[in-house]
Amino acid sequence: MLFGILFALTAGALVGMQNVFNTKVNEQTGNWTTTMLVLGLGFVASFLIGLVFEGRGMFTSLGGMQTWFWFSGLIGVGVVTCMVQGVKLLGPTYAVAIVMTSELGFALLFDSLGWLGLQKVPFTLNQLVGVLIIVGGIFVFKLGGGRESEKDTSVQKREALN
Amino acid sequence: MRGLLFAFLAGAFITLQGVANTRISADIGTWPAAALTQFTGFAAALIIWLCVRDGGVKDLRRVRPLYISGGAWAAIIIFTNVTAIQQVGVTLTISAVLIAQLCMTFLIDSMGWFGVPKQKMRLPQFIGIGMMIAGIVILKF
Repeated sequence: MLFGILFALTAGALVGMQNVFNTKVNEQTGNWTTTMLVLGLGFVASFLIGLVFEGRGMFTSLGGMQTWFWFSGLIGVGVVTCMVQGVKLLGPTYAVAIVMTSELGFALLFDSLGWLGLQKVPFTLNQLVGVLIIVGGIFVFKLGGGRESEKDTSVQKREALN
Repeated sequence: MRGLLFAFLAGAFITLQGVANTRISADIGTWPAAALTQFTGFAAALIIWLCVRDGGVKDLRRVRPLYISGGAWAAIIIFTNVTAIQQVGVTLTISAVLIAQLCMTFLIDSMGWFGVPKQKMRLPQFIGIGMMIAGIVILKF
């Protein structure tokens, strides 16, 4: 279990860093140019690392594909579209706090229902209380104020991704 | 109201993305899944870009190569995210991801790394992170 959490912490730290880099790109160009670049490079990196570790398996594995696998990439397009609109309408601080809350809510739902062949994690009161406290923490962090230079546009743009 | 709906959907999609990647990985392996999902996402973004043309190579020349490389990190992000979901489930994974993400933001902002305007962190940010860690402990133990 410890390894699982360490993996998740690694992912999160990299997301935080990647958001800064992507924002730097986004400051110079549009949302879709940025998205295209980010996904394109992500593909190239995953493909090369995969070739090193799995070799020909990178191609042979494609035999076991279900049709919807080909469309999973569209979810990412949905993320960008909704994120951009949400930030435009709510401002970055509120939007991100709500996005994170929604992420956690759906995570609980997926775990307890075991959708998409996930191993079911039974819903417990502890889980609900834990998630509510985390959500509280997100709102205190985001809306507690005290962070200076919130008006700065580059800060705002970056907030949008965090 | 519409803003709320968009933000809510964005969160749903982010979680769904992690779960879908995990499901696909179970059938074809994690690296092929990471490559596939980003390739199809790239193709979709390319089509949208061809319609909106909101920038081009000329803009990207103004960006430092280090920042351009940001996208490549997604390979490791997807791999670690999927592996975590396989081992500890979605809720715990997303919770830990969000905590680490906010801590990283916190660190970068307070140090002013990568040319980010330095921001002073105050009590609310410390309390927020403390609450999130408490939440994850309750969630699991």
